[in-house]
Amino acid sequence: MNIEKVVNKLQDALNLDKSSIKLMPMIETEITISKQQIFLAVRTILKSGIWHLSAITCQQLEDDFNLLYHFWISGGLTLRIELDEKNPQIDSICSLIPGAEYYEREAREMFGVEFLGLPNPIPLLLPDDWQNGYPMRKKEQSRQEKPKDDESQQKGQSS
Amino acid sequence: MSKITVPIGPQHPLLKEPLSFLVSLEGEKVMDSTLRLGYVHRGIEKLAEQRTYIQNVYLIERICGICSHIHSTTFCQSVEALLKLKVPKRGLYIRMLLCELERIHSHLLWLGVLAKNIGLNTLFMYAWRDREIVLNIMEEISGGRVSHAVNIIGGVRVDLNEKHLSLLQKSLQLLTIRVEEILRSIQNDRSFQARTRNIGHLSLQDIKRYCVVGPVARASGLDTDIRRDAPYAAYNELSFEVPLMTEGDVWARSILRILETIQAIRLCTQIIHNLPDGSVSVSAPRRVPAGEVVSRAEAPRGEVFYYLRSDGSQNPARLKIRTPTLTTLITLPGQLKNMQLADVSAIIAGVDLCIACGDR
Repeated sequence: MNIEKVVNKLQDALNLDKSSIKLMPMIETEITISKQQIFLAVRTILKSGIWHLSAITCQQLEDDFNLLYHFWISGGLTLRIELDEKNPQIDSICSLIPGAEYYEREAREMFGVEFLGLPNPIPLLLPDDWQNGYPMRKKEQSRQEKPKDDESQQKGQSS
Repeated sequence: MSKITVPIGPQHPLLKEPLSFLVSLEGEKVMDSTLRLGYVHRGIEKLAEQRTYIQNVYLIERICGICSHIHSTTFCQSVEALLKLKVPKRGLYIRMLLCELERIHSHLLWLGVLAKNIGLNTLFMYAWRDREIVLNIMEEISGGRVSHAVNIIGGVRVDLNEKHLSLLQKSLQLLTIRVEEILRSIQNDRSFQARTRNIGHLSLQDIKRYCVVGPVARASGLDTDIRRDAPYAAYNELSFEVPLMTEGDVWARSILRILETIQAIRLCTQIIHNLPDGSVSVSAPRRVPAGEVVSRAEAPRGEVFYYLRSDGSQNPARLKIRTPTLTTLITLPGQLKNMQLADVSAIIAGVDLCIACGDR
């Protein structure tokens, strides 16, 4: 199955216009859909013979918060879904693709995206008693990168 | 019969890296198991956002202590795609050479671990002795046994000279003989078969449902290999076979990985015979234009996935890494179910886990 045919099928099934389809470098096509369409889109993709979900990327940027579902069959197909930053919520696709469980759990604990219907919503990577928010969000700074207080350091050295 | 729960890990002689299994037993039979990751989670995706592209090449190499080169290859590949850089052929060939040497080293290391876990210490000694041959080559070329730091954005930092080529030729010949010998002895060894046949079975349907990649998928009959399906570097100029098995048990995975090792040795020989002339790298600008790119490569354990987004500054805006181990980990509870406790060690070793990769 070639990617163009799948893109055409998706376009018909979801009523998408041309502007939501974008070509990326390294044989990758990106399609922007709304979060209500996720089930229909994944079902259409599975029906066209693509079963491999490479990863789910969650990202928070200056003005948007989105999820990217990266599919693959001898070419890449990415679904982009914009989420509301204050209340990121989406249906879990684990019932269609069980392999998505770890990707969703990771996005859940690192970014705070709530996947409705996620079968096993327990921490995957972070400690069980983690209470310091969502580490991958932009405002969280890594320990090493906290602004250094130059003056106090110099004082510390001299004393 | 009463149920007993046995913890395997985070620290356990079976596991080379920390990972926690809780296995519930009824008698000797595994009824259920749960899995917990995160003991070597270092937050590399977050760290990468606070470092420049050049610093990141070295950070990314530290994701894994076995397949370090493939990570930096995939990262450099994605940055080069955003920069629209054309890496010289010689550079790409040296990159591929290291990738294939790493595959040989990773598969031999894994064979040793499996052999140790099922009590075949002789095979363990042989496999790790032969792994030293590859490590010596890599040390001679790059100066490091596992962290090579060979890749730079725009090519590679080392060039091959006559001394390297003659060492490679000699070592690869020896390695071919040794690995074929290992394959013969495994195929005929009754105790190896008794410990690996019909355990940890995964059907082709499960492989597709769980999006499994690499040798574990190929051992269940899924014909997939990024090197062939979407050639990166210069793999389209080389000829190689992708071994395929259909049994889907630990036995099939073992044979398949050794067949892959033989293919990797052949690829290395092809690379040194067809090594193009010219420079090994081009200079790359520090700032990367805004854009996003998805890049994939075939690591020893299967497809490794990188998503890179640049906002035009010196640091990446987002770097997502999905390693092949994460896809095989999710299938482990299913594989362990209804197995004997004594087979757990063989099954865990059979999927070739790299926990540091999985956690990042």
